[in-house]
Amino acid sequence: MKKLSKLLLALSFVLSITTSAFAVTVVSWGGAYTESQKLGYGDPTAAKLGIAVNWVDYTGGLSEIKAQKEAGKITWDIIDVYAKDTIIGCDEGIFVEFDFDKDFAPAPDGTPASEDYFTSMPSKCAVGNILYSWNFAYNHDNAVFAKKQPKTMKDFFNTKKFPGKRSIYKGAMSNIEFAQAALGTKAGKGGSKIYDKLAADGGVDKAIAKIKKLCDDPKGGCVFWNAGAQPPELLANGEVIMATGWNGRFFNAQMEGTPITQVWDTQILDYEYFAMVKGGPNDANGKAMKVLREMTSTEGLAGSAKYIAYAPWRKSSIAIIDAGEPWYKDGKTSMVQHMPTAPANTKSYALMNPEFWADNQDEIGEKWEAMKAGL
Amino acid sequence: MSTEQILSSDGLPLEVSLRKAERKNKLKALFLVGPLFLFLLITYVFPIGDMLFRSVDDRMITSKLPNTFAALEKWDGKELPDEAIYEAFYKDFYPLAISKESGKLYQRLNYEKSGFSSGLKKTNRKIKKFEKSNYKEQFMETHKIWRNVDYWVALKNTAPKWSYVKYLKGVDLKLDPERNIIQQDEDRRIHKILWLRTLKVAFWVTIFCFMLAYPISYLLATLPMKYSNLLMICVLLPFWTSLLVRTSSWMVLLQQQGPINDLIVWLGLAANDNRPELMYNVIGTFVAMTQILLPFMVLPLYSVMKTISPSLMRAGKSLGGTPFVAFRKIYFPLTVPGIGAGSLLVFILAIGYYITPALVGGASGSLISNTIAYHMKSSLDWSFAAALGTMLLVGVLTIYWIYNKLVGIDNIKLG
Repeated sequence: MKKLSKLLLALSFVLSITTSAFAVTVVSWGGAYTESQKLGYGDPTAAKLGIAVNWVDYTGGLSEIKAQKEAGKITWDIIDVYAKDTIIGCDEGIFVEFDFDKDFAPAPDGTPASEDYFTSMPSKCAVGNILYSWNFAYNHDNAVFAKKQPKTMKDFFNTKKFPGKRSIYKGAMSNIEFAQAALGTKAGKGGSKIYDKLAADGGVDKAIAKIKKLCDDPKGGCVFWNAGAQPPELLANGEVIMATGWNGRFFNAQMEGTPITQVWDTQILDYEYFAMVKGGPNDANGKAMKVLREMTSTEGLAGSAKYIAYAPWRKSSIAIIDAGEPWYKDGKTSMVQHMPTAPANTKSYALMNPEFWADNQDEIGEKWEAMKAGL
Repeated sequence: MSTEQILSSDGLPLEVSLRKAERKNKLKALFLVGPLFLFLLITYVFPIGDMLFRSVDDRMITSKLPNTFAALEKWDGKELPDEAIYEAFYKDFYPLAISKESGKLYQRLNYEKSGFSSGLKKTNRKIKKFEKSNYKEQFMETHKIWRNVDYWVALKNTAPKWSYVKYLKGVDLKLDPERNIIQQDEDRRIHKILWLRTLKVAFWVTIFCFMLAYPISYLLATLPMKYSNLLMICVLLPFWTSLLVRTSSWMVLLQQQGPINDLIVWLGLAANDNRPELMYNVIGTFVAMTQILLPFMVLPLYSVMKTISPSLMRAGKSLGGTPFVAFRKIYFPLTVPGIGAGSLLVFILAIGYYITPALVGGASGSLISNTIAYHMKSSLDWSFAAALGTMLLVGVLTIYWIYNKLVGIDNIKLG
């Protein structure tokens, strides 16, 4: 039964293999982001190593790769994933465990890779790619902000001072951290206190209650977004007055002339990682590792920042960008100041805690949905 | 007595020859049906069966912790277990930690109770340095989950090889230490709400589709060909457009600063600073889903109405019936097979819908299929996703069965 089902699943996947079987397949989120990866380090890597790199889009999650693995026919080599997915994928034996300093290139000055990265990795199967931020923004043309402007996360929750609807992410992630900050917990540098409070008994309940209050407030109200392009749109068309979102999306909207201002207080720094599939088509021959090593090198990571306002993970990449300003593709915008890691933006920030979410996502998810159902 | 055998032209008895010919025909038929049958088996029946099977299959964990479950059998679940049980767990877990096979346990047990993942991971690191006695003490020092009786209860609940716990979870129930079925904690009861909401949305969308589609189909069926063809294209055109495009168009139309709201304000039905909310609530869900599913109601209705002869209505009227009576007694009953087919189609499609409600439905836009997608893609709890999927499938089959009892399935007509 088990063998037969494997065989049948394998058959259906064999059909999906194309002539590009020899190229290294990198899977990412599509849109402007994949574009920045392809132009920033994908194409240069392919040219340098003489190995074709093939980009495939997906919508996140590990279901596809798990299905490929169970069918015994894996077609993906490298995947761009969330921190919690590297943890789950590592536990489930889907990804390759790295020998970090051996597998990844040191900085140009010889600093080993593990020290060149801003923080340590959430699992042994992860190598950092970009840093992005969950922050909030407001439409500064809106009359509500004529006299005073929001400066802190408390302002985001203050409906007396700033009456109007807010847009927040549809899931609990980011929202309960923001709510905890609005309840008075200072993020400081790293935000560990926020997670301590949330992990304590009843901590999550209090944070969710804070959001419920905001959404129930006749002067407030919530619109839930689920695609990254939505928050800038909702701000631009006046549907909401403030919105949480991803800084790169806000930046792109600003570049297109949308009248929005970003607020960086209690921003949550989150990361994207590459993970390498165990038993992928180019795992045994070492090509996937070569490509990954090249893409995550100092120059590689700096390259993608030309096309999008996400920060490279490596400290040494920032130096390259700094020296090359204005770095943005239009040739006149300096990038470092727009990055989540710029000193002006990191006065108060939290680091997304993947361990907390890997542990609690289901329970918090249920409580969150129960709260939303009662709105 | 010997009867003379009838022989066919090639000298064989007729009976044998006939059987041969029939067998050939049967084989031919089988060859014609075979590919489709095989295709369905491979791409449909087998994967779905395999998936649904996961909802009850819990053998992985049973095989990994045999000593622990044997030791836990007599434990009453009231206080922390004694040294022997901790030792049994050590015997199971230590080899797994050494051979790096413990990973699958983290996720499996974390579905059962939040916190297992990090607790087991830490245990995995520390267990290699454990001394060979006083296991209970060492475990309790390693992580707080080993000091909490709830985690042992959760562990004990995963003992059976085959489990129906996921089905209980699907209707907000769970097992207590004595394996009695009890309600889920109040702030985590979410699935019942989602089931009811899914049914409610599907029900109303079906009703709205019916109300809109009936007159359209009537018009389509009665208008002269050149007009009805044009109208038919109007019905089908959205049908050929991508679902996402149509949903996004509705988002443009329905937003607070959008054209529909502009029109309402211009007509003076609402003040400019108090525009009605047409989206991110239940109104948006109904409007968008009704429009998207409308063709599935129009087409069966149209094909049935097309076959109803106009002379029947004329006959009804000439026998003294008012137009209304003629409609009610003659026309409407004749369209019931079409209504049945359309409603069943729309309802079943609506019950599994999730993109549209997720985009335009706001807080109320989360339906049961969104939860299934979440567990498939994000939490990777495929057995729970399979359980919810099975429940949805059984629900649809039940509706089909009720429909069959009430209306009769041979009454259905798609064209």
